[in-house]
Amino acid sequence: MGVEGLKQYFARRVIQAVVVLGLVSLAGFSLLHLAPGGPAAIYALSPTMSAEDLDRITHELGLDRPIHVQYLSWAKGFLSGNWGRSYRDGRVVLEVIADRVPATVVLMLSAFSVALLLGLASGIVSAVRQYSLFDHLATLGAMVALSIPTFWLGLMAIYVFSELLHTLPPGNIGTVGAPFALADRLRHLILPAGTLGVVMVATWSRYTRAAMLDVIGEDYIRTARAKGVTQGRVILRHALRNALIPLVTLAGLQLPLVFSGALVTETIFTWPGMGRLFVDSIGYRDYPVLMGILVLTATLVILGNLVADLVYAAIDPRVRHS
Amino acid sequence: MSAVVVGAAPGKVGAPEALAGIFWARFVRHRPAVISALMIALLGLASIFAGAIAMRDPLRIDMSHKFAPPLAKGHLLGADELGRDVLSRLLHAGRISLTVGFAAMAVTVIVGAVLGTLAGYVRGAVDTVLLRLTDAMLSFPPIFMLLALAAFVRPSLASMTVIIAVTSWMDVTRMVRGQILTLREQEFVTGARGLGASGARIMARHLLPNTVGIIAVAATLSVARAILLESYISFLGYGIQPPLASWGNMLNNAQSYFATAPWVAIFPGVMITLAVTSFNFLGDGLRDALDPRHVRSRS
Amino acid sequence: MIDFDARPDDLRSTSRSLSRREILGLLAATGAGVMLTPIVRSGAVRAAETPRKGGQIVVALSQEPTVFNPVRPHIEVDRGVHFGLFDSLWRVDEKAQFLPNLAMEMPTVKNGGIQKNGLEYLVKLRKGVKWHDGKPFTSKDVKFTHELIMNPKFGAYSKVGHDQVASVETPDESTVRIRLKEPFAPFMTAWGDTYIVPAHILEGVADPNTAEFNTKSPIGTGPFKLGGRVAGDHLLLVANPGYHMGAPALERVIFKYIPDLTVLYTQFKGGAVDVTGMQGISSEFYSEAKSLPGVIIHPHYSPSVEYIYFNHGDPRFKERAVRQALYYAMDKKAIIDQVYYGLPKPVEGYLPPTSWAYNGELPKHEYNPDKAKQILEEAGWKAGSDGVRAKGGVRLSFTNATTAGNKLREQTQALVQQNWKAIGVDMQITNMPAAVIWGEYYVKSKFETLLVGIQASVGDDPDCLNRIHSKYIAAKTGSGRNVSQYENPTVDKLLEDGVREIDRAKRRAIYLKLQEVIRTDLAYLPIFSYVRIEGVKQGIVNYVPNSNTLTNTWNMHEWGWKA
Repeated sequence: MGVEGLKQYFARRVIQAVVVLGLVSLAGFSLLHLAPGGPAAIYALSPTMSAEDLDRITHELGLDRPIHVQYLSWAKGFLSGNWGRSYRDGRVVLEVIADRVPATVVLMLSAFSVALLLGLASGIVSAVRQYSLFDHLATLGAMVALSIPTFWLGLMAIYVFSELLHTLPPGNIGTVGAPFALADRLRHLILPAGTLGVVMVATWSRYTRAAMLDVIGEDYIRTARAKGVTQGRVILRHALRNALIPLVTLAGLQLPLVFSGALVTETIFTWPGMGRLFVDSIGYRDYPVLMGILVLTATLVILGNLVADLVYAAIDPRVRHS
Repeated sequence: MSAVVVGAAPGKVGAPEALAGIFWARFVRHRPAVISALMIALLGLASIFAGAIAMRDPLRIDMSHKFAPPLAKGHLLGADELGRDVLSRLLHAGRISLTVGFAAMAVTVIVGAVLGTLAGYVRGAVDTVLLRLTDAMLSFPPIFMLLALAAFVRPSLASMTVIIAVTSWMDVTRMVRGQILTLREQEFVTGARGLGASGARIMARHLLPNTVGIIAVAATLSVARAILLESYISFLGYGIQPPLASWGNMLNNAQSYFATAPWVAIFPGVMITLAVTSFNFLGDGLRDALDPRHVRSRS
Repeated sequence: MIDFDARPDDLRSTSRSLSRREILGLLAATGAGVMLTPIVRSGAVRAAETPRKGGQIVVALSQEPTVFNPVRPHIEVDRGVHFGLFDSLWRVDEKAQFLPNLAMEMPTVKNGGIQKNGLEYLVKLRKGVKWHDGKPFTSKDVKFTHELIMNPKFGAYSKVGHDQVASVETPDESTVRIRLKEPFAPFMTAWGDTYIVPAHILEGVADPNTAEFNTKSPIGTGPFKLGGRVAGDHLLLVANPGYHMGAPALERVIFKYIPDLTVLYTQFKGGAVDVTGMQGISSEFYSEAKSLPGVIIHPHYSPSVEYIYFNHGDPRFKERAVRQALYYAMDKKAIIDQVYYGLPKPVEGYLPPTSWAYNGELPKHEYNPDKAKQILEEAGWKAGSDGVRAKGGVRLSFTNATTAGNKLREQTQALVQQNWKAIGVDMQITNMPAAVIWGEYYVKSKFETLLVGIQASVGDDPDCLNRIHSKYIAAKTGSGRNVSQYENPTVDKLLEDGVREIDRAKRRAIYLKLQEVIRTDLAYLPIFSYVRIEGVKQGIVNYVPNSNTLTNTWNMHEWGWKA
């Protein structure tokens, strides 16, 4: 066993990941193209367009070719780094997406970090003081946080903090038309990151609590206590370190949910990220951009899963044979 | 969520009545779950008897009552932008949202249970294919998938149900598969196999009934998820279409009115939160009742 | 605040508008002008106030402009940006007058600009105009733009006005001669919407469809240059000091993208946004917006009219009695007053009240559900056991579709559904996302009825041949936009005459008659003429709402802040 088994496992999982990615792209492509409506629809109501113009535009985009031809042509291009051009403005898809990635990354990372810190802290305290008032309140709070529709929370937050209290801006990445200022940017980040982070805090808090409880009951913790190690050190050095392992897998698995949350948050807070791009592209039926975003997020999710699986496999040899 | 509960008590499968008794004892100790169960029953009754309770037509437009605040002009919870009664719309919307929730849950559970059992029992190529398929589906971030699907079909109760189910079956499949993997090694299964029972028979008569616990948990959580997802899609405008009301599309209409008529926006959100929280707590309670020690196993 | 009720009468006298055009031309030729200010150096007869130098204006848009090449397929918000970056030969102002832009003067019969009864146009171009990169603008650029649009390998937006051109010649650097295949009255309007692109940049490019010019580095002759872009957030335009009509007073214009109309309004309220672009402010906020301090609200007509479209391919709608009854049963006033807060004006035809061809004498709508019931009864539509009228086994139950998510339209549908239920007609609402409903469902006439807002034609031209002529039913012939599949030989003849007649007075008579015929026949049910509510911060001068252009940035070179 050991390293060899791990390498084989890794190789197998990578191959499977590639297959999955292929399936995802095929499913996504078929879905988009077989559905009603098309990219020429946005011009349909314009007074200067005729039906021939619309047909011509559809033809120029290659949309009247049989679907398998279109898919193969897309796939070939994709694998060689050419993700195609946007139907909306002819821009290179890679560029269109790359332009929007930074904003989403900033949002997700801030939400993630805050959620992580608060969630871990809350989970640890809950575990250590199990069944206390704090624990009960935290559990209730976490449950409610998981159940609130994020967009509603966001709208309420905007209403309270922006319209009623006038303390925070109602959206945007920074003050419009003003030059870049860090403080200004941070102020604009608070509400969106907070809204996005609420759900994550809840999940992290509950899992940390559960993982810590698992670990705290273990023998080696009792041994450490018997040896006279102080409570604080027991928690932080022994319990937490071991509880972190399953939490790593959780982090990997959270990725798709975070993307989803980011999409809604970006819409409400006028945040110029990838989620917003996705919604707009759906409206325009901008297939190349949609495929690009789909494959990108699917890759990230699969990578996240892969890393989580690898970490788990490294610890638990039984898993390698699954 | 991929936390999986190993269902039956480790070791042997005991007599069904005894297990049921233990299960109930554990369940009622979980107070939030009990409260939630009552809340859900209440919501369910309110939805079914929406007409009788509200005493107003949720579709009746009366512009003279436009944006009436709560307790004004006979509207307990106020009126919306077309003068329609918020309370009756809320209750009828509950019907829609809960129906979508339960229907999606049913489809999700059936598909998930069948696929999970197949994967877990038959193993081999079938298992690998199903697993990879599940993985592929899970790699689509849910909202992306939902939005893409919803934007492309004519929105209706049926299409919403299908779309939500399509993005939810994977979790159930994994949970059931995990459970089956454990069960199949146990004596009663090997015994049945030895006696010559066919695979189908084993799956149907022996394995599936023992996954009821897991499925119940998965089902409850999937209702919660379904209600939330329906509200997301309807909010974005791709879900249940007006004039039919769902909690989600009531919020869509209401976001412009936060400043002028906040009650139109607050109540539907509160209802969603209430319903989803209840189902989540219920699922939690069921999970605790089945096995108080959460054991995480990766399939 | 502009009092728009006065304007329809103002525009009725077309003979006055003709001679005004000639005055314009003369003024342009001599370089002098009445009430001129340093800003508008040549030609425009408008009382432009002098703003102070400098400053920026933030325009909010609910869609993101990303297409910078004006002849590529684009949407309205892109056009808003094109107004700043590019010029056309002439533009249409809010009074439906043509203002020469790159042309020195408007071509008329009198000055020899229009020859051979509208078959030839001789256009004198302005001298000394430079592109943003310093190169001179010449007639070659005009010829190139036309040829690019007609190039089969180039994905142009629309060929209207160019299809009809037989040839474009350039006798010298500042003259263009355009020969048409046959007289085409909307020519002026179509070329008013044709923005000139630089030959020296685009002719050398390998593929003009994917040139960087289109999305990154547009070069025009307009009052502004592209300053920068933050994807998904905003677009920055900076002033072009060498603009031929005088450098703009503003330093910068920022086009901010805010996808949600409610959020857009909130940010306007909060002062982050100076001008609410294009879609403006939603009617439901009008009463609040009116009383906001520090802003001016301009409600004004946009050229679109809201209708209920019938699909005449469906035999039920071929019956005039049915259409009439549905019109009588519809409470138009309630829709306008209660859903749209009384802002739009009810119309009986396809043109807005600001059009020079608007027929104000059409029979007015009457809300009379009893009469509606009577008409249906007499036509043989009797109520069945389910309350829905039927005749010969066919029920009066049909779908009505519009863009999903458009709240005001949804409210309108709810009202109309209730109205029609009262006379025994069952209307089912089936809304769909925009990309679905305006695809084949609309273009190939797959609908039963629609609730739709249509702008008949570009600018102020009343021509709508493409939309209602029987030869242009796309579902049958593959070409045209007569999606309602309406066929009426009288209408056909009037439409054909309308595009051939050059004399405006005679054309007007034709279109007045056309509106009458369509109204009597009730080809579709006209509801109201759109009112766009535009919000502008107080202190901005020279902001002029214009019903004849797609968007309100048409004269952004004149904008500025109060001195």
